[in-house]
Amino acid sequence: MTSNPITAPIDSASEFHKIQSRPASIEVKGITVSFKTPKGVFTAIKDIDLTIKKGEIVALIGHSGCGKSTLMGTISGMTAPTNGQVIANGAVVKGPGPDRGIVFQNYSLLPWLTVYKNIYEAVDSVFKDKTAAEKREIVEENLKMVNLWAHKDKLPGQLSGGMKQRVAIARAFAINPSILLLDEPFGALDALTKGSMHIELLKLWNLDNRNKTIVMVTHDIEEAIFLSDRVVVMNNGPEATIKEIVEIPLPRPRNKKEIVHDPIYMETHDKLMSLLFDKFSIEDE
Amino acid sequence: MKKLLNFQTYLPLLFGLGSTTLLLGAWWTVSLLTNNEIPNPLSTWTVFSEMLATPFYDYGPNDKGIGNQLFSSLLRVFSGFGAGSLLAIPLGLLIGSSKTAFRLINPIVQILRPVSPLAWFPLGLLAFKAAEGATVFIIFVTSLWPTLINTAFGVASIPQDHKNVAKAFGFSRWKYITKVIIPYALPHIITGLRLSIGVAWMVIVAGEMLSGGVGIGFFVWDSWNALSLEKILSAILIIGTVGLLLDKGFDWLQKRFAFS
Repeated sequence: MTSNPITAPIDSASEFHKIQSRPASIEVKGITVSFKTPKGVFTAIKDIDLTIKKGEIVALIGHSGCGKSTLMGTISGMTAPTNGQVIANGAVVKGPGPDRGIVFQNYSLLPWLTVYKNIYEAVDSVFKDKTAAEKREIVEENLKMVNLWAHKDKLPGQLSGGMKQRVAIARAFAINPSILLLDEPFGALDALTKGSMHIELLKLWNLDNRNKTIVMVTHDIEEAIFLSDRVVVMNNGPEATIKEIVEIPLPRPRNKKEIVHDPIYMETHDKLMSLLFDKFSIEDE
Repeated sequence: MKKLLNFQTYLPLLFGLGSTTLLLGAWWTVSLLTNNEIPNPLSTWTVFSEMLATPFYDYGPNDKGIGNQLFSSLLRVFSGFGAGSLLAIPLGLLIGSSKTAFRLINPIVQILRPVSPLAWFPLGLLAFKAAEGATVFIIFVTSLWPTLINTAFGVASIPQDHKNVAKAFGFSRWKYITKVIIPYALPHIITGLRLSIGVAWMVIVAGEMLSGGVGIGFFVWDSWNALSLEKILSAILIIGTVGLLLDKGFDWLQKRFAFS
């Protein structure tokens, strides 16, 4: 099957190696995160090591509560690690910074600000030295990029889930970070919207010459395969660790419709399924 | 279908008419039972319309029109309420956003809040050496608590999501206050203001009975001394109406600043 000349990945291996020879964008070194709870200390993730290259798209996948969002939090700087450190763009992460744009799980738009203002306030915070006209230009450009310029004066409450997510993505892109962190970004969207959001995300990434590193948390296997270069599968928590890192050697640009028939896709999908589920039916005792 | 729609439109009007009849009926019954010692609605209405005919006359310190009385009461309420809010809102923002401030100030609030505002009147007299200042002072004290507590509650209940946005995009303290804290807390603040003005309007009547001079509360007391129960009942209606209007005003503000 893999020898089929039409579906075989002609240059995927070389493309993958090209990425791996790039400089590191994020280095997670021996990260442990523990929380104090009324029942005692709860360790969410333990001794995690992970290096992500510049321009790479990596998906963190695992069951609910496995600590993938916690790991993401240490990269974004929203969560302080108990042990270890994260190095992003060569500097130790001590908190959130403008080099890392975050798209939150539930969009996190400020409901009293218009779509335009939601992005403007972020841009205004990050680019303190730019003039108001320059900042307005950035907001306009990013809103047009996600096709929401016509809706710029609406409040988030007047938008659909997909549109809100596009605003959140535009906001993250607007501060022009070299690292984009997406925490279950499409989890609340219906399958159709989700599909077109995947393509839009890759389009934005392409527009920027695939220079941005993207890390996303998901529990959707299809999404992980379609978007990423590597999928990091996590063990179930507490004290979650990395179970396995699966490479996705599918060539880009990927076609959503055709990719599912690709033997590599199917093989990877099966592998991820086996890693995530021990049982596949109630008879599998 | 059309008929049903018409009925729905007139329903509030019918209910309004119903409650007016109920009130007037009960009033008239009481009036009959007390042999007109409590004046009936009709004789009250005669006095009431006379009062409204010349609301702004001024025949010296003890004889002023109802409009003058009402105006000076409202002036006191708004001065005291304004000053109180100017203190309560920033203090509420502080208590709501800082655990230390909350633990320091909350016990003080809890012990002072249940005190009847009238108990502050002598201290007001001492401080301002005049009944006028003392009356405004008790309104000031009255207006503090509901606004303070509601503002603090509003700020303390800001969802983590909104805080995360500020943190992730590095909002300055000023931007955090003006773009996150205040907009989020605004509906709570307005609720506090609405409660404050309601209590202040109740307290002003009692306050003016103590302070004398001009004012709707003094007017009620003066009418009692002159044994004009019609005037007292008219004043009660006026106080109620103004209180309702104040409440409606803040209700409108609340809706105006609510975000979905």
